[in-house]
Amino acid sequence: MNFFVLLFLIIGLVFFTGGAVGIIRMPDFYSRLHPAGKLDTLGILAMVLGFALFNLKTFSISELLLSIKMLLIVFFVFLSSPTATHSIVDAGIRAGLRHWTKEDKR
Amino acid sequence: MKYIGLLIVAVCGGILLSATSDFPDWGYSQSPASTYLSNHYIEKSIEETGVPNLVTSVLADYRSFDTMFETAVIFCAGLVCFLLLRNYNRQKKFFYRHISTGVVLCFKDNCKNLPASKKFEQMDADWIPHDLIIMTVCRILIPFIQIYALYVVAHGDFSPGGGFQGGVIFGSSFILLAISYNLQTAMKKIKEKILGLLSALGVLIYVGIGIICMFLGGNFLDYSQLAKILPVDPIHVRALGMLGVEIGVGIAVMAVMVVIYVNIASEGRHDEGL
Repeated sequence: MNFFVLLFLIIGLVFFTGGAVGIIRMPDFYSRLHPAGKLDTLGILAMVLGFALFNLKTFSISELLLSIKMLLIVFFVFLSSPTATHSIVDAGIRAGLRHWTKEDKR
Repeated sequence: MKYIGLLIVAVCGGILLSATSDFPDWGYSQSPASTYLSNHYIEKSIEETGVPNLVTSVLADYRSFDTMFETAVIFCAGLVCFLLLRNYNRQKKFFYRHISTGVVLCFKDNCKNLPASKKFEQMDADWIPHDLIIMTVCRILIPFIQIYALYVVAHGDFSPGGGFQGGVIFGSSFILLAISYNLQTAMKKIKEKILGLLSALGVLIYVGIGIICMFLGGNFLDYSQLAKILPVDPIHVRALGMLGVEIGVGIAVMAVMVVIYVNIASEGRHDEGL
């Protein structure tokens, strides 16, 4: 059990690190939103799965309920985080921000 | 006149700033607040109020009078936003869009304001097409946000939360509706008149509970007097009184949040969706 908890936590950490590095390193506004929207969502999935498993060490109904509540957080983040990113990209395009091309300077 | 006002503000500010130097230092253990008051709250609050959450018991019982006027201040903020920003002047131009074809008609000043029908919808000069993804996700999320807000209000006695936080969350669900659809859709769900009534009703519930306590023979906002009309034991009735007060705060905060957003976002005209 502990092995899976650690595995999930490490996977989540890798995704979160990738997201943080991507936000800093990506060249323009739109591509920066990509790690912010995608990697953070997946990182939260892995992290919270780890926590939920760790919580289920001593199995009982109340612990199971707590784990389900944790997974509900993941569900809502999955709904809201990509939608927020989508609407920000939409607003950027409507406001007329050009996307980055290879010729542009970083 | 302007300079006299500025002078008064500067003098008052100077007096207040000079008074702060007489305050006890941060975390000074001999200050009156930390010698008597904090210990009393920490040791006695559960047996005196019957509420496990220390913050709620201080906010809604020991300092209930303070919280009542905080609610009144929030009501005044909403009132001021309404009075300063609300604009009843008619627009110069009206735009109507034929829904099935997308053709836009522009009506000039002197023609009558057509009601929106099934074929035509009224729109603004800077109208943008609705985004299906955002609309769908917000439609799914809004009920959950509202249930969560009710939970935060109702569970404020036992866990972090209370009227202010729950009211803000509930108000934000209406703001989300106004952002994701448009302002007119949100104003159809909750009318402007109802918003004004609700923001006053919240303060009225708070003050009303206090006055009921006074009529039952206690002090203003002395919740234990409510045991005379409610069939519960006197300790538990304090928690119940606090819950009533929190509901009043929640209603007032919710209505004021929406009023402030609506008036600022549309510059008081209530026609424009962001």
